[in-house]
Amino acid sequence: MDAITVNQLSKTFRVKVKEKGLKGSLKSIFQPEYKSIQAVKDISFQVKEGEILAFIGPNGAGKSTTIKMLTGILYPEQGEAMVMGINPALKRKQLSYQIGTVFGQKEQLWMHLTPYDNFKFFGTIYDLKDHEVEARIEELKQVFELEEFINTPVRNLSLGQRIRCEIVASLIHRPKVLFLDEPTIGLDPVVKENIRALIKKMNREYKTTIFLTSHDVGDIEKLCKRIIIVNHGRIVLDDSMENLKYHYLKKKVVELKLRDAVDLSDEDGITVLKSKGNNVKLEIDTTKKDISDALKLIDADNILDINISNIPLENIITEIYKENRQTLMKGSDTP
Amino acid sequence: MRKYLFICKATLMESLQYVMNIALGFISFFMMVFVFINLWNYIYSDPSKLISGYSRGQMIWYVILTEILWYGTRNRTLTVQISDDIKSGTIAYGLNKPYHYIVYIIAKHIGEIALKFVLFLGAGLVIGLIFVGPIRDFSPLRLPLILLSLLLGILINSFIRMAISVLSFWIEDCFPFHWIYDKLLILVGIMFPVEVFPQWAQPIIRCSPIYVVSYGPAKLVIDYNYSTALEILLAQLIYLAVSFILLMLFYQKGVKRVNVNGG
Repeated sequence: MDAITVNQLSKTFRVKVKEKGLKGSLKSIFQPEYKSIQAVKDISFQVKEGEILAFIGPNGAGKSTTIKMLTGILYPEQGEAMVMGINPALKRKQLSYQIGTVFGQKEQLWMHLTPYDNFKFFGTIYDLKDHEVEARIEELKQVFELEEFINTPVRNLSLGQRIRCEIVASLIHRPKVLFLDEPTIGLDPVVKENIRALIKKMNREYKTTIFLTSHDVGDIEKLCKRIIIVNHGRIVLDDSMENLKYHYLKKKVVELKLRDAVDLSDEDGITVLKSKGNNVKLEIDTTKKDISDALKLIDADNILDINISNIPLENIITEIYKENRQTLMKGSDTP
Repeated sequence: MRKYLFICKATLMESLQYVMNIALGFISFFMMVFVFINLWNYIYSDPSKLISGYSRGQMIWYVILTEILWYGTRNRTLTVQISDDIKSGTIAYGLNKPYHYIVYIIAKHIGEIALKFVLFLGAGLVIGLIFVGPIRDFSPLRLPLILLSLLLGILINSFIRMAISVLSFWIEDCFPFHWIYDKLLILVGIMFPVEVFPQWAQPIIRCSPIYVVSYGPAKLVIDYNYSTALEILLAQLIYLAVSFILLMLFYQKGVKRVNVNGG
């Protein structure tokens, strides 16, 4: 069954524009001008129950606007979304019992209360009975390892501890779908790893559907099996991580440490990324040239060390963004 | 209802962390009351004299009671927080929670002022008893009606302040409106009872929120009679309904304008 169904969803914002300088400020009082910005354009997709989906894109791509429409915060202008069979635009209060939200940049916890009191608060607003809240806190305390700081006021917690509590607060009412909007923003690598492990554990143990937006490629790579990339309000890629890697990991990076320096230049299928003294870094397009053929350019006895790696996912995503931008630019050039 | 009671309780728990802040508020309260005690002592050189029908004791008790209402119910949640929530878009994040934002804020406000109000009430009563003595002809039997009037006054004041703050959906800064309301309340409603003002101004004041927010509850304590009590309670009920309808109307209209772009 689909947990989320999105059908041709669109959203346009009306933004005030002002000419520069004092004259422009005065003019905007008497003759205000507005321009329309289409943040989300006709997007459609489905998310299955229990799936972890990465919904990514550059700043201003329309990710957060989509999340806000799916959680009932914003009304769509066109199209329809259904989350657990409920239309967020029509029944957002009813939907709130089915979903949890964590906005990495917007805390929902009460800073002067302890996590325990916060969880009691969230349990009560979701109409859970006292004994149910207690049992749920106990359960989540174990899963998210909160024992050490559950009775410390939130304002005294570290960012990592706070994010863990934010996630727990959003899980207290056993939501079927969890929306995570940049949950690891500002966290150090160790804490990020910890949060990712907990998200994975939560998905495994409670079968919670997770809709994740993040700029952190590590989050996407380690958590998600499916990825949707949006840019300029449109979906530019909707594929499994496996397919993404298979199609886009055609290029390999070969790093060589040589005994004697050699003079290499770009040729079909080979790009010299770096050539400094005895160290050389090549990018090889395996559809045009095999790695073995590329290595034949260098005398085997001259090679001291070699490292062959895939292009980082971050670069792949950047490339997809760029490709999309070029396509759009070409489209706008066409009369 | 249970969730709103819990919000109230959670806020009370939070405010208990800041008892020192409330204690600091007493300094300004004591100064104001001290100034007015001396002012009325000077004006009433003859203690048996009546001004606008009030004795010296009644006049000082009036100021003490209205000051308790002023200091004990002042709160940034109704003014700054609502405006900030609207301007920053934070209000949108409460829309997909299973509570009503306006009722949530009222519950939070009551939780925040509960302790403060009780402390100021206690302090005000002690000062009054020391400097003026017991209130003349006061009967504990009137307490239920007086408490009801106090509660209604506090609620009306909250609704009016919230309605002003909700204007932030349309205007950048609603502080000037709060400022005008504050000054009117202080100058006309807190320092002097309605009867002290010129005859021509009295009907205007009696129709204003000042009559139901500060004058009414204080009047019932210092100069109770059955018909005045009925008149004040009726006026409070009308004001309560009108201010609540206006507040909800502004909110429902405004919340449709919520626009949160970006992450």
